[in-house]
Amino acid sequence: MRGPTIIKAEDDKTRQLNKHTLMAFSGEAGDTVQFAEYVQANVSLYTMRNDTELSPAAVSSFVRGELARSLRSRSPYTVNLLLGGVDPVTQEPSLYWIDYLASLAPVPYAAHGYAQYYCLSLLDKHHNPNISLEEGMKLLERCTDELKRRLPIDYKGVLVKVITKDGVKVMDFDNDRVVRSA
Amino acid sequence: MDKLVAQYSRPAHQNEFYSEQEQQDLNESLPPLSLKFSMPPIDNSASFLRAMTDDHSNPSCPIKIAHGTTTLAFRFQGGIIVCTDSRATAGNWIASQTVKKVIPVSRLSRGEDKPSNDPTPGLLGTMAGGAADCQYWLRYLSQQCTLHEIRHKRRITVAAASKILANLTYAYKGYGLSMGTMLAGVTPQEGPALYYIDSDGTRLPGNLFCVGSGQTFAYGVLDANYKYEMSEQDALALGRRAILAAMHRDAYSGGFINLYHVKEEGWVHHGFDDMNPIFWKTKLDNGEFSNVTSEL
Amino acid sequence: MSRRYDSRTTIFSPEGRLYQVEYALEAISHAGTALGILAKDGIVLAAERKVTSKLLEQDTSAEKLYTINDNMICAVAGMNADANILINYARQNAQRYLLTYNEDIPASSSCADCHGGLRPFGVSFIYAGWDHLRQFQLYQSNPSGNYGGWKATSVGANNASAQSLLKQDYKEDSTLQEACAMAVKVLSKTMDSTKLSSEKIEFATVGKTKDGKIYHHLWSADEIDALLREQGLAKVDDEPEAGDIK
Repeated sequence: MRGPTIIKAEDDKTRQLNKHTLMAFSGEAGDTVQFAEYVQANVSLYTMRNDTELSPAAVSSFVRGELARSLRSRSPYTVNLLLGGVDPVTQEPSLYWIDYLASLAPVPYAAHGYAQYYCLSLLDKHHNPNISLEEGMKLLERCTDELKRRLPIDYKGVLVKVITKDGVKVMDFDNDRVVRSA
Repeated sequence: MDKLVAQYSRPAHQNEFYSEQEQQDLNESLPPLSLKFSMPPIDNSASFLRAMTDDHSNPSCPIKIAHGTTTLAFRFQGGIIVCTDSRATAGNWIASQTVKKVIPVSRLSRGEDKPSNDPTPGLLGTMAGGAADCQYWLRYLSQQCTLHEIRHKRRITVAAASKILANLTYAYKGYGLSMGTMLAGVTPQEGPALYYIDSDGTRLPGNLFCVGSGQTFAYGVLDANYKYEMSEQDALALGRRAILAAMHRDAYSGGFINLYHVKEEGWVHHGFDDMNPIFWKTKLDNGEFSNVTSEL
Repeated sequence: MSRRYDSRTTIFSPEGRLYQVEYALEAISHAGTALGILAKDGIVLAAERKVTSKLLEQDTSAEKLYTINDNMICAVAGMNADANILINYARQNAQRYLLTYNEDIPASSSCADCHGGLRPFGVSFIYAGWDHLRQFQLYQSNPSGNYGGWKATSVGANNASAQSLLKQDYKEDSTLQEACAMAVKVLSKTMDSTKLSSEKIEFATVGKTKDGKIYHHLWSADEIDALLREQGLAKVDDEPEAGDIK
């Protein structure tokens, strides 16, 4: 978005950091992609140097550290992030919520910006740790339905990616569903 | 002597009617700022008020108006559910945790909650925004409704009552009123009726409203699970759960869950319950709120 | 011939050798032996402590075994002053990694960076560590900057004979206890004195507790003596030993 104009409707606001870690970002135009690709480069540098992949937990700490450093610099990155991944050793999935003030929180579900206000109460109600992928997609649909219903912004659909132990893949998602209000 | 008699005698039926002057006064449902508040000696009192109270643009403003709230009401097959939290905040300060944000607007039950479980006839209003504004103007509305009832020998419709309030807020638009209220009632003319009125002068009829700083959280739960055809039990549970969601996530909402059901015979109170045991029960029994850990 | 090419590490000799590095390796070959053995449930490090004089205050703390972080220790052979610099660096490096990634440094990365600047450091290290990627690991590094993983290895004086003894005795799937027994046996054969005592050797193990926590442990004198008695290698108290100043 630039001023009142949408420049591109289907921009991919994620970067894959290694085989099973994905980072989604929002924030200041320019900063977002710059920072994401900086992280991406450092994570793959680590992989090349050490012949091992960083766990999502280690990546999240690294990212938080970089944001904390940037925050006190002359031009801080204004970037909010969601970082998801599957640990290559334990195979445990994990999700991290990171904001531009370098707060880091491991969470079962997360959102940034106005979406938080509508989706978190829904996720509080319907999420449980043993949720299946199919149920997860249904819950995501409930969230996007609510955003379509109440958010005074047409965000032109969402891009859905799923991270498993086998890597990252794009999911089919019906963005043309019409949602009716009560 | 004749003069003296004439002074004290009136036509036999004169007392049954209002004088022309009185008639006019009473018909004035819109008090044209007639309440004659004394105004502070300031050029533009509205902008002065804003400067003193708007802690959004000026966090160190001297007056912090009680603001944060979550209130909701929705229509369903069995009537209307009205539910609120009970927290009053002034800036970051929690001024009270036991505020009654559902205000009965009716002649027969003004103020008091009767101990009996019988339905109480009348309307319910909810309180969001400035506590003083809401209390004052809902009491004023209550007065107007009572007058209407006496005059017309039947209860006022929700449409009419909400119109009185909306006309009032519109008349004071720009003067710094802060209120977002819902009026709920069941009348023979309308059936179950629900209106949203705010200090901008907005007046909207509808099936479902959430008002206050926690509105989005309540909408999240309510929208996803709302069905007009649901049972009374489900509707009460949903109202309570939606408010709980907001009390959990919104720092300016909390305290007790205040739940009402409005039906044909009148409104019924379904409790003023501490949110904490309800939260833990919801978490532990249903596995919800999985981001909150129950272990130390 | 070598005179012209050994004053700086950056100069190769015409035969393609770096003399400074070779001198450093030579320095190590005179140091007390240190060895490490990898077992299935842990690692043992053992080192010979050179007792130079009866008059020297016997420091109770280890001088050849050092902790790097919660799940890594190392044994040193070579110049102690150089070792201190590198150990200090390794400890800082481990903490820096912990700060950046909020998890312990992998064992292999920890020993990758421990080598020289201008003059090569005159030390070899044997590292014993654990990480969740490759579990228990044993590494050895030397002044040239090379490092590699081992099942059992040794450095210092007599390391050639120690190495061949280890090769002879090493069994896959041995327990930590068996590895400890083997370590003292090898040391007893490579050291000058036939009878050992806790004054002459240092011992440390890395292992896993019953509840899965990684521990490392520098053995006390009593523990070492108990092990020596068990293996029949302990010095009999009243028997004077050759070489001791009485």
